Amino acid sequence: MRAEVLERTWEPSSWLGIPAGWHASPQNPCTLSASPGSRFGREDSRLSRYYIKYNGSKTDSMKSVLILIASVACAWGAADAGALAEATAGLGLAREGKYELAISHYRAAIALDPHLPGIYLNLGLAYMKLDRFPDAAAAFEQAAKADPASFQARVLLGMSYYGCRRFDAAAVQLKLAVEQQPENLELRFKLAQSYLWSKQYGQAIEEFRALLDKDPDSAPVHLLLGEVLDAANQEEQATAEFEAAVKASHPEPEAHFALGYMDWKQKRFEEARREFQAELASQPKHTQALTYLGDTELHLDAAKDAEEHLRLALSLEANIRLAHLDLGILLAARNDDAGAADHFREAIRLDATKPDAHYRLGRLLRSMGREQEADAEFAKVKELAKEEPQAPLIALPGVDRKQLP
Amino acid sequence: MNGVPVPGRLVLAAAGLVAAMWAVASGQNAEAPIHFVYHPIDFRLESCETPQRHAPETMAGGVAVFDYNNDGHPDIFFTNGADIETLKKSSAKYFNRLFENDGKGNFKDVTAKAGLAGTGYDTGVAIGDYDNDGYEDIFVGGVHGNHLYHNNGDGTFTDVTAKAGLDRPDSQYGPLWSVGGAWVDVNNDGLLDLFVVNYLAWDINTEPVCEAAPGKRDYCHPKFYKATANQLFLNNGDGTFRDVSAESGIRAHPGKGMGVGIADYDLDGLMDIFVTNDKMENSLFHNRGGGKFEEVAFDAGVALAEDGKFISGMGVDFRDIDNDGLPDIAFVALDNETFPLFRNLGKRGFADITGSSGMARQSLPMAGYSPTIADFDNDGWKDIFVTRGHVQSLGYASRVQVEQPNTVFRNLGGARFQALTGEAGLTAQPPSRHRGSAVGDLNGDGRLDVVVTAIGAPAEIWINDSPGGNHWIEFALEGTKSNRDGIGARIKVTAGGSVQYNHVSFAAGYASSSAGPTHFGLGAAKSADLVEIRWPSGIVQELRNVAADRVVKVKEPPKLMRRAFFFTAPREFTLCGELHPSHRFR
Repeated sequence: MRAEVLERTWEPSSWLGIPAGWHASPQNPCTLSASPGSRFGREDSRLSRYYIKYNGSKTDSMKSVLILIASVACAWGAADAGALAEATAGLGLAREGKYELAISHYRAAIALDPHLPGIYLNLGLAYMKLDRFPDAAAAFEQAAKADPASFQARVLLGMSYYGCRRFDAAAVQLKLAVEQQPENLELRFKLAQSYLWSKQYGQAIEEFRALLDKDPDSAPVHLLLGEVLDAANQEEQATAEFEAAVKASHPEPEAHFALGYMDWKQKRFEEARREFQAELASQPKHTQALTYLGDTELHLDAAKDAEEHLRLALSLEANIRLAHLDLGILLAARNDDAGAADHFREAIRLDATKPDAHYRLGRLLRSMGREQEADAEFAKVKELAKEEPQAPLIALPGVDRKQLP
Repeated sequence: MNGVPVPGRLVLAAAGLVAAMWAVASGQNAEAPIHFVYHPIDFRLESCETPQRHAPETMAGGVAVFDYNNDGHPDIFFTNGADIETLKKSSAKYFNRLFENDGKGNFKDVTAKAGLAGTGYDTGVAIGDYDNDGYEDIFVGGVHGNHLYHNNGDGTFTDVTAKAGLDRPDSQYGPLWSVGGAWVDVNNDGLLDLFVVNYLAWDINTEPVCEAAPGKRDYCHPKFYKATANQLFLNNGDGTFRDVSAESGIRAHPGKGMGVGIADYDLDGLMDIFVTNDKMENSLFHNRGGGKFEEVAFDAGVALAEDGKFISGMGVDFRDIDNDGLPDIAFVALDNETFPLFRNLGKRGFADITGSSGMARQSLPMAGYSPTIADFDNDGWKDIFVTRGHVQSLGYASRVQVEQPNTVFRNLGGARFQALTGEAGLTAQPPSRHRGSAVGDLNGDGRLDVVVTAIGAPAEIWINDSPGGNHWIEFALEGTKSNRDGIGARIKVTAGGSVQYNHVSFAAGYASSSAGPTHFGLGAAKSADLVEIRWPSGIVQELRNVAADRVVKVKEPPKLMRRAFFFTAPREFTLCGELHPSHRFR
């Protein structure tokens, strides 16, 4: 169910729009020695150089791609040969996973011919491979601008926005793409995810439910629908979706964890413990499951088990705030003040904006007679503990009560 | 100590008749271990809720259960709102009300005769006999004005606010908004002092405007208002009070007070004060003696819930829940905040047992206002009755249940609780925005009943018809050296091999006062083997072999009387106190 869009777009036949079955011959004598002044004249030797270079070193498939591109360029006769040479080189490098180098060639190609078909798409794809999503988005924006009807530009732009965590913008582009291909379930899945992360819960629920209409047994869709419902405070329905994810014929990893988390949130600690244990049965090194299991056991007064799981979680990943906080609580309970203080401080280091560790540390320090340090922690608690109002309850600035109806 | 024998047989017969009348009125049967039936009363809480959603409109609703005329039947006093613009009771619908209980299921409105209709926007009530004349007086806290009503003993009250010196606006904060208070003898001089809980700084002209959604006005979050200080007034013994808020240390800790509980949590003989604050840390004022208090909430571990976050601290009760002799703290908050429980560990402060007690899980979706710790099924373990309802207005948000039923959390034996709502009969009335609550044995059957208010809705009387036939005993103390109400006296009861504790405090819940005798459930035990009373004066009094199912009037002896009673009292009589005629054997 995962989107495969990216891999597909690497096929040059797709982005150049070459008809299927169109082949170029290695012996194609595409004349690069055009008359002086023509667009090809200046860069012909360069194209040849690249051609030769790659022709001599690459696999058969790579050769065919390069030959194809060169042939297309020759056949179309519309592109700057130098730009094509740069693009070709870039493509070859990209094929080798050398994306930084590929990007420099793509940029060189753009400098020579900004209208080279598909160049921005490939530039964007190279950026995406490097997780440079803002740069990728800029490239895809150019691609979409050049061809507003391009389905792929739309999809890739949406994907790059998604990578930039600009989920609102991603949803807009992916929605346009879905309108072009409403049966593309992978695309709809990505659109639904964009809705989820951009907090457009109503649309997300609608998309995920539409996907479930097509495939009611899809564990990942159930899982993500559960996430949306949870985010929308529809906790019972969320739990039902997580249960469906667990019961699917191919259960999704994380489903038990998600169910356990729902139980944990609802303080149903016995049930939460069972779900976390189930997740760990298939993923023994799931650090979140280990941490929440430990926390759950702490609430269940199972100190020994809690400590074991929290320590295991920290051995796998040292920077888990909750694990440090809980270990501090456990150690403080058995009067290991120094150990407890260390863990509380580590929890604070990992996130100094949470008041709980300051509160615990302050109480510990007070019990140790370290009054000033305790007071400092309590002062931080007071500063930090100011929670946001529930729901979107906001004060309207500058409104005069007396002027209101 | 007086000993007035009352023939038990006659009393028993009368009790059967009265109980039958209340049962007919309710028409329901008990099923759960704790069960209530609804009984109507002609009072509707009018908070003047406007589209502007001014903060006081959602905070009204204090109620008191007390015996104003000493006839043995607990009566009911309701505070009420006013016109929010003028803070005046511009209509009779805003009057406070006093209802006299005839013990037969009838409540007669005696407000006019008593002179208790009030004048302002009233919120809370605290009952106490501040002049030790044997008649309970009434402190009414409100928005920008408090009142002290002296009980004249003839069914009337006199407003003595100005004479008492309680009418002055605060020099720093100006007019304050009180949500009630507690009568407590902070210096053990035999005179009840007054602790006033103040909420937040509110001015109708400068109050922020808040919206739950565009164009949808609702009550603002407390963070948009400034905190104010609580007040402590020392009783001069001549009908006047002296404001010692600053010199006592109370004033140095402003908050947004919503509830007050009093108890001697460290058993040093001095009453301490716990105040819940709305979206602020709570305050625990430790009484150091000499009229000085030290705020120790952080040190004691009761400033915040265990996650260190500010929650909407509402009403509170401060009593021993687990029968270890150390007063514990139960308070309530809004949904997703849980109803915190702090267990008193003695010298090690308090432990947050909200999770392990089962309270966290069960209260998570609930919004509460007024908790009262009392033994509703007389099994020897104190339960917690919670009035429920959200602070926001109706239609605030679809995901929030604004109107809710009340719930009683049954104590399963120490530190675990089971929530009973529908099972306890409490869904017999529609859900509502419940606010204050007060308890007392209104029908004299030995089971504690509850009176509850609700914003813009009729008040509810919940008559306790819990099954089981457990025995009980109540102590109506009369201090001589100590304050006459005996507030602060610690009572230890040994019965049937179990020991339990309570102390006299009329402050409980939200803005309310439960000023009846101190109640103990005895389970199957037909008598209390030993009753030990530690008076605020330091005098310790012991009663032995006290028969169950009665109210025992106990007068403070003039000197130490430890082990004063060695003989067994006949069942029909109470030699160690007076059996009040309005309370009967089962």
